[in-house]
Amino acid sequence: MSHAVKIVMVEDDLGHAKLIEKNIRRANISNEIEHFADGGSAMDYLFSEEVRLNGPMLILLDLNLPDMSGTDILVRVKNDERLRRAPVVILTTTDDKHEIQRCYDLGCNVYITKPVDYESFAGAIRQLGLFLSVMQAPDIE
Amino acid sequence: MISALRPTLLALARFVRTPTLGRRVAGLMVLAIVLMLVLNLSVLVLIQRTVAFNDTVDEAQQVRLVSREVLTRLVDAETGQRGFLLTERLEYLSIHEEATQLLPDLLQELAGLTGGDPDLAPRVERVQELSDQRLAVMNRSISLARTGRMDEAVGVLRSDQGKLLMDAMRTEIAAIDEIQATRLQFRTRQSEWAGNITVIANALGGVMILVLAGASAWLIRRYVIEIQAARDALDRTNAGLEHQVRDRTFELTRANEEIQRFAYIVSHDLRAPLVNVMGYTSELEQAGRIIDKQMTAVETRAPKLVEQDALTAVREDVPEAIGFIRASTEKMDRLINAILKLSREGRRNLVPEQLDMTLMVSNIADSVRHQTQASGAEIVVESLPLLESDRLSVEQIFGNLIDNAIKYLDASRSGRIVVSGEEAAGGWIVYRISDNGRGISDRDHERIFELFRRSGKQDRPGEGLGLAFVRNSVRRLGGDITLESELGKGSTFLLKFPTRLILPDAGEYA
Repeated sequence: MSHAVKIVMVEDDLGHAKLIEKNIRRANISNEIEHFADGGSAMDYLFSEEVRLNGPMLILLDLNLPDMSGTDILVRVKNDERLRRAPVVILTTTDDKHEIQRCYDLGCNVYITKPVDYESFAGAIRQLGLFLSVMQAPDIE
Repeated sequence: MISALRPTLLALARFVRTPTLGRRVAGLMVLAIVLMLVLNLSVLVLIQRTVAFNDTVDEAQQVRLVSREVLTRLVDAETGQRGFLLTERLEYLSIHEEATQLLPDLLQELAGLTGGDPDLAPRVERVQELSDQRLAVMNRSISLARTGRMDEAVGVLRSDQGKLLMDAMRTEIAAIDEIQATRLQFRTRQSEWAGNITVIANALGGVMILVLAGASAWLIRRYVIEIQAARDALDRTNAGLEHQVRDRTFELTRANEEIQRFAYIVSHDLRAPLVNVMGYTSELEQAGRIIDKQMTAVETRAPKLVEQDALTAVREDVPEAIGFIRASTEKMDRLINAILKLSREGRRNLVPEQLDMTLMVSNIADSVRHQTQASGAEIVVESLPLLESDRLSVEQIFGNLIDNAIKYLDASRSGRIVVSGEEAAGGWIVYRISDNGRGISDRDHERIFELFRRSGKQDRPGEGLGLAFVRNSVRRLGGDITLESELGKGSTFLLKFPTRLILPDAGEYA
């Protein structure tokens, strides 16, 4: 992944956020990670002019947020002229198949269930890092 | 007689007093029929009486006629005799003879007509006597006249003997006439009275029948109105009931959905912190290893610097604490997964289909054969009745129960698990899974079906999930599961399913 791609992480659990960041870094991904702990501030950021200036980005999205559901953000992003091409990775604890189907229907690009077992969790995030390193993200215009 | 009728009358009174429509109408009908019969009978009696009356009238007329004829003939005979005596011409004598020849027949007829009548018979006898006497007097005068002794003959005539006899005769005949007239009058009055009575009875009967018919019609009408009202009430109740059922079903469905959703959300929300606990435990472990490595390095280079307590903390206490944390979180994860599984099973759509249970259970037995063979146990699958239900649920139920039976066999004897089943009354099918395993103590018979609860020696792996899951599934299929077991002897799980699974939340309520 080119260096300019910014990772926007929406994750209400600070512990999870830290663990995700740690493991992404362990996969040698050095891209900037912007973290938001609630849906509101993430939306404010995503729909601000600032984003345009920051070049391509990738969104890591948790579904269980305190102020809204991650799917609400997904819908807004995928229906937005500028943001709809930004890759969205759902990273959540839910492995309900209806929820998974729904997210793909709404346009999410990757759906990952956080494994409770830490070895698997760390492994999954590191693999996500490896995936990110070869992935091309479009520019936000 | 009255005492014999008493029970019948009492029964009748009871019948009549019992207020049912059928009985009332039947009673009215019986009454109407009885009235009709009485009317018919009265008419019949009247007709017979009229016939008898007519006969009596005929007879009376006949008697009057004949008695008058007798008188007329006698007068004829007298006329003939007198004419002969006056003129001595023989043609007058022939008038006399003609009359006398007819008289015996007439008298006989009269006697026949009045025979046995206590009032008339003596009078008729007297008439006969008088007639005979009168004829005798006549004949005497005629025979005197024939022999030429005309004076003597006229003397007989003048003696007024004949006139006296004739007067007596007239009196008798008038008496007979009078008797008959009185009798006819009486009969006529009687007949009129009977006729009036019949007419009145008929009229009354007709009115009564009309009243009865009216009463029946009124009763039936009232009954029909009552039925209509009852039907309307029933319709209303039904409508209300349907509404209630719909409301309740809706509430229940919603409550059920809420519970499912609650379990689902809770288990997911519980999972999120667990990720942290496990994640940071691993991070801590890793950090511990780094410190341990550092300590080892320090220990080799400057042993005096290292405190024994610090070494113990890093090499024993920290790994031990981490081990417990990890074991507990792993267990918690399994429990949460168990709740999730139950919650998911509750949300799964059931699809009823015809199940060959013998085949299904045999397949399950085959799939665990490696376990049973290892422990020298056997599973006997008897011929099982067919079941119409959800395949996956039923498979899971039998799979769980057979797994359990194998898991808790008694090592001191060779295991034997028997699966049997039969149809029960009321559209149910009962299956039995019996084992000769370690058995379950009485106080645990209910407890083992609860989530996370287990019984007996805790020497087998498991979360206490299987039976809770089984009972949940069985109930969802509209069935029930019970246990018969004695500690140390074995257990029998009794599964009761409806022959056909009918989904309660079908259609509009879903």
